[in-house]
Amino acid sequence: MDALLSGLGALADLHLLALILAATFGGVLVGALPGLNATTGAALLLPFTITMEPIPAIAVLITIYCAATFAGAITAILINTPGTSASATTCLDGYPLAQRGEAGRALGIATVSSTIGGVISVICLMAAAPLLARAAYNFTPPEYFALTVFGLSMLATIGEGSAVKNLLAGAVGVLLATVGIDLLTTVERFTFGFNELSEGIGFVPVMIGLFGIAELIAQAGNLTQKYQRIKMKALRLPSLADYRKIWRTILQSSGIGTFIGILPAEGATVASMIGYNEARRWSKTPEEFGKGAIEGIAGSEAANNSATGGAMVPTLALGIPGSPTAAVILAGLMVHGIRPGPTMFTEQATFAFAIFWAMLLVNVLFFFIGLFGAKVFARVTLVPMTILWPTVFTFSIVGAYALDQSMIDVWIALVAGLVGYIMRRHGYSVVPLAIGLILGGILEQRLGQSLVILDGQWWRMLASPLCLLFFTLTALALFGKPLWRRVGDNPEHRRPS
Amino acid sequence: MPTFTRPGGRRSRPRWVPLVILALAAGAFYLTTTFDEVPAILKRGMQPADFPQLMIGLIAGLALWLLWRERSGEPPAVPRIVSITMAMLIIFPFLALVDLFGGLAIFSVALSFLWGERRPLALATVALLVPLMVFFLFDIVFEIRFPRGILTNLWYD
Repeated sequence: MDALLSGLGALADLHLLALILAATFGGVLVGALPGLNATTGAALLLPFTITMEPIPAIAVLITIYCAATFAGAITAILINTPGTSASATTCLDGYPLAQRGEAGRALGIATVSSTIGGVISVICLMAAAPLLARAAYNFTPPEYFALTVFGLSMLATIGEGSAVKNLLAGAVGVLLATVGIDLLTTVERFTFGFNELSEGIGFVPVMIGLFGIAELIAQAGNLTQKYQRIKMKALRLPSLADYRKIWRTILQSSGIGTFIGILPAEGATVASMIGYNEARRWSKTPEEFGKGAIEGIAGSEAANNSATGGAMVPTLALGIPGSPTAAVILAGLMVHGIRPGPTMFTEQATFAFAIFWAMLLVNVLFFFIGLFGAKVFARVTLVPMTILWPTVFTFSIVGAYALDQSMIDVWIALVAGLVGYIMRRHGYSVVPLAIGLILGGILEQRLGQSLVILDGQWWRMLASPLCLLFFTLTALALFGKPLWRRVGDNPEHRRPS
Repeated sequence: MPTFTRPGGRRSRPRWVPLVILALAAGAFYLTTTFDEVPAILKRGMQPADFPQLMIGLIAGLALWLLWRERSGEPPAVPRIVSITMAMLIIFPFLALVDLFGGLAIFSVALSFLWGERRPLALATVALLVPLMVFFLFDIVFEIRFPRGILTNLWYD
């Protein structure tokens, strides 16, 4: 309780509140611009936060995360192009409703659903993260190692791509994390004689390359895309009849989104898809879905915004990112010398709760910004790509340089951008690579500690019930889906019709 | 997972991506054999090469799996404008070595022009206004010292 209040106290600073307000505007802007999303926005902003104190720095990144996730709905509804991938399902009903001349109503439902979903998830975060951290407090290194392996195995399920390709990208990320001086033995590895690589490959330039520069290259292929913008008079809050129709969907999707967010590596995109599908499944009028059903908008938006709070639970309590943007935030925490995990809630409880309160505040702030500013933000979609992306490039390069004031980081960002684009073209997600790079160092450290404790007999890890549980979950994450599919395909296991 | 079918009806199996990964993994493995070894008392559970070799083994195994099982074809050809954008990104480091902000200005205006921008004001915005704003923001507010070059020397000298 003390930490809860001291966290609130830490937030009671005019400078910090102004920063959060500015970041909320920035986040809504980022989310409303097609091509930019919460992950890119956070990665580009990461270098700007380096000179800040940890609380404002992480509050700004989290604000971008929440606000951009919400703002993806603006372009989804008005130009049928999701501002972020998490709003792809919002297009399905938001745009048809806008085409019927009810753009204001569609945006109103999206704003209210996003706010309720976001607030519910932050309350869950406030309750669940410290409990999870307390449970993990007594974990031994082998159990931590098994948990990190489980977190990495969840990379297999990211997106719609091949699980093997995702794992391969994750493994490459972990391998890249070994570049530099080995902390256990102080031996240099893969540095090729460059002193700048002694401390390893920086998270910030890689993030900027994978999420910013790779997206720039991808956008070059979308230049012919024409947006048809629907005019909107004013945002309209849902009527009582609307609330009666959507309240159950909002609560259900908030629960789904929070749960999906808590699963390591799964983010708002998966949450919105499941939230939307469940809203349709439980609807009394499923035939209206795809034609402008308000439950569809509510289901998608409540789920994707609630996933933001859920994603922060494993990120802060266990140090395992709950989503791609949470991975960037985790990188931000590490750059500021904060090691997320169970000890954070005992040693830096004020910091942790200040972040929670900041998240709660953002969810309220974007309600008002959405209410009064959606019409203005809808206009940012008119910013030409020929101005937007060269500007993004300038910020990317300067941001990559700024952290260590090293040109090597600029070259790393450029190489990461080119590699990221090639990966995307060949069906490899860049997210596992980024998460692998972040978790690689921790994984190696925990394996080393475990081997010391177990006298090099790694198989003794299986004697611990928790290790066994995490390894079983890992096996399920890796092989559960193909096995389930195989059982489903087997004619002997089909029910007679 | 989309599959691509050749005109003859036979599924294509591009092998070059897993093969490149395997070649890189082999190169990385060779490098791990050159790492120093530490005495047993200092190794803290593992030799410096052990963990990278474990990861390289995993990468090689997954690449072999892709080579054997994956049935995805070549993606559609890269549009010309994307190729030129990538080529410009490869050229950018040479410009940046002369002057970082000069390079940014040239790259930005070239990219904007390549992507179809012809309005002088828009081109001037990305070539001059944005790099100047970013330079002074980082130099004055964040006190970041940029590498010296033809243009940055005008400010630093």
